[in-house]
This record gives sequence, C-alpha cells and structure tokens, in this order.
Amino acid sequence: MEFLAAGLAMGLGAIGPGIGLGIAVSKAMEALGRNPEASGAIFVPYILGIALAEAIGIYALVVSLLLIFVAPGAA
Amino acid sequence: MPEEEGESLIHVAIKAEELFQLGPLHVTNSMVGALLASVVLLAGAWWFARRNQLVPTRVQSLLELPIELMAGIISASTSRWRSYAALILGFFLIILVANWIGLLPGVGTIGIAHVDETGHEAVIPLVRPASADLNFTLGLAIVSFVMFVFWGIRANGAGGYLKELLGQPLYMAPLMFPINLISEFSRLISLSMRLFGNVFAGEVLLATMIALVPILVPAAFLGLELIFGFVQALVFALLAMTYISTAIAEHHSAGHDSDHDTDHGAAHAAGADHPPAAEAASA
Repeated sequence: MEFLAAGLAMGLGAIGPGIGLGIAVSKAMEALGRNPEASGAIFVPYILGIALAEAIGIYALVVSLLLIFVAPGAA
Repeated sequence: MPEEEGESLIHVAIKAEELFQLGPLHVTNSMVGALLASVVLLAGAWWFARRNQLVPTRVQSLLELPIELMAGIISASTSRWRSYAALILGFFLIILVANWIGLLPGVGTIGIAHVDETGHEAVIPLVRPASADLNFTLGLAIVSFVMFVFWGIRANGAGGYLKELLGQPLYMAPLMFPINLISEFSRLISLSMRLFGNVFAGEVLLATMIALVPILVPAAFLGLELIFGFVQALVFALLAMTYISTAIAEHHSAGHDSDHDTDHGAAHAAGADHPPAAEAASA
C-alpha cells in the first residue's frame, strides 16, 4: 500500500512541475530566439524559475521517499 | 560489489551509513565524501596560491572557468555583492565538487562488507556523495538561512526586519506574520530538500540503470548527472544569493516595488556585463 501511495505521489506530483517547466523553458527559448544577445540577462532568472518549479517535484519525491523508507508500515 | 548480492541488485540507503565510531562521533560515509570534497578544494586553493600566473596556463584557465562564471553573476546582483561573494562562491564550489565526487568510479561501489541484524548481507560504500545526505544539505541551508537573516537585520535593523515580517498594512499582521514566518522557514526546507532530492534521486537513478542495463546506458545517465550536479550547485548558490540580496535590498516604500527595482538593476548589470559571462558559459 505504501508503495502504491509512493508511486501515486510521485507520478501525480510530477504533472504540475512538468507543465510548469515546459512553459518556463519554452518561454525562455522564445525569448532567446527573439533576442539572442539577452542570454546573459535571461540565464539567472531562468535558472531560478526552473529551480522553484522543480522544487514542487522534489517535494513529491520527498513524500514518496518518506512513504517508502520512513512510513510506519514500510519495510 | 552490490551486484553479487543476489536477491536485490539495487543498493539504496536513504540514510548515510555508519563506517566506524570515533569517540562520540559516528563517522558516516557521507562525512568521508564531504571531507574528500573539502580536501579537493583545499588542494585546488593551494595549487592556485602557489602557481597562478597572469597569463593562465591551460589547467589554470580551466579551473578559473566556474569561478569566472559565478563572479560574473554575483557581481551583477547588487551593489553590495562584495559582502556575500565569498559565501556564495563557497557554496557553489563545495556543492559542485561534492556532487561530482559522487560520479567518480568506485564511489558507492567500493566498500566494507557488512551483515546486518536480519542476516542480510550488504556492502557499506566507503564514500557517499555528501549532498546525497540530508545532514550536509541542511547544514548548508542553515548557514545560508542564518546569513540572510543576519544580513537582513544588519541592513534594515531588527525593527525593520520585524516590520518586513509583519507585512504592509499593520492590521493584517495577525494573518501575514505566520505566513511570512512559514515562508522564511520554507526556504530553509526547500533549499536543503531540493539539493538532497536531486542528488539522491540521481544516485537511485544511476543504481537502477546499472542494475537494468550494465553496459553503455549508464554512461548517458552519468553525463546527465554531470550536468545536474553543476545545475544544482548553481541553483543553490543563486537562490542563496537571491535571498541575501533581497534581504539587504534598500526598501523604499513597498516591498514589491523594491523587489522589482533590484530585479531590474540585476538584469541591466547582467546585460552590461554580458561579454565575460557569455565567454565563461560558452568556453
């Protein structure tokens, strides 16, 4: 049961960050395509945005790891 | 070697395993990894101090590359970048080295054979990448948390910092204060969890891939982990830098306005500083 929960937590939790990262990267690429000289200015906010979006996925990972390794019924 | 275990090919431990005990200190394999990273950095610093030249040799310019990249980013952040540049650079370098040490052959495979209480035979790896241990990442996050609270208090005074926590219309303070307090502490958790989650997930991914397809395929994932190790080090350093630079930012009237201002200034400075940064990134 814990494994099922862990799998669901990770799988469902990855949907949001996946969409978010896709939007962020597509917009960054778009901006880069329009104005290649701006790569230096785009880079830092881009990395920060990616990291913040990815954090949500990491939360899901942490929850599923807790379910697998730390939950009361886990092995 | 974990492959000879038989029943389970994948060796994954969420906790750093204890190697031996030194008095009251339980020496774990991630501590060995952290020490190894420190030794590598110290050796690099020593090498640099001994034989740096104005016209860099090939090795020297290679070692200067990440520092140059970070220096370009840090110096473009705020006007007071000198006060926190060393901390941010230190975060970046220690995490980068700690992450990449985990990818060296032998790390995670060479270890001490060990039979646990249930009669299970396992190998305790001698070295574990330090950032795959929550203690290490939480330690770094606590350092950055203390530093950005400290700098915030020094820049705006204790009253100014408290006012920041209370929020703008004072009658909303009972609602805003807990939210702001939680958001301050969630930075601590998200900083440490992000790094730990990424590196640990990378370790699990590599172990799984090696167990599934032992030949050729793990190499591709090793390359991926090389990039992830760099990106995560960069992300941690950049987030710590952003937290600190928003903490020390001069507040004009409203919090949002000043945030916008610093962002704009950073973007401008990065644009002006573009050639060296791009050079470092593309070289």
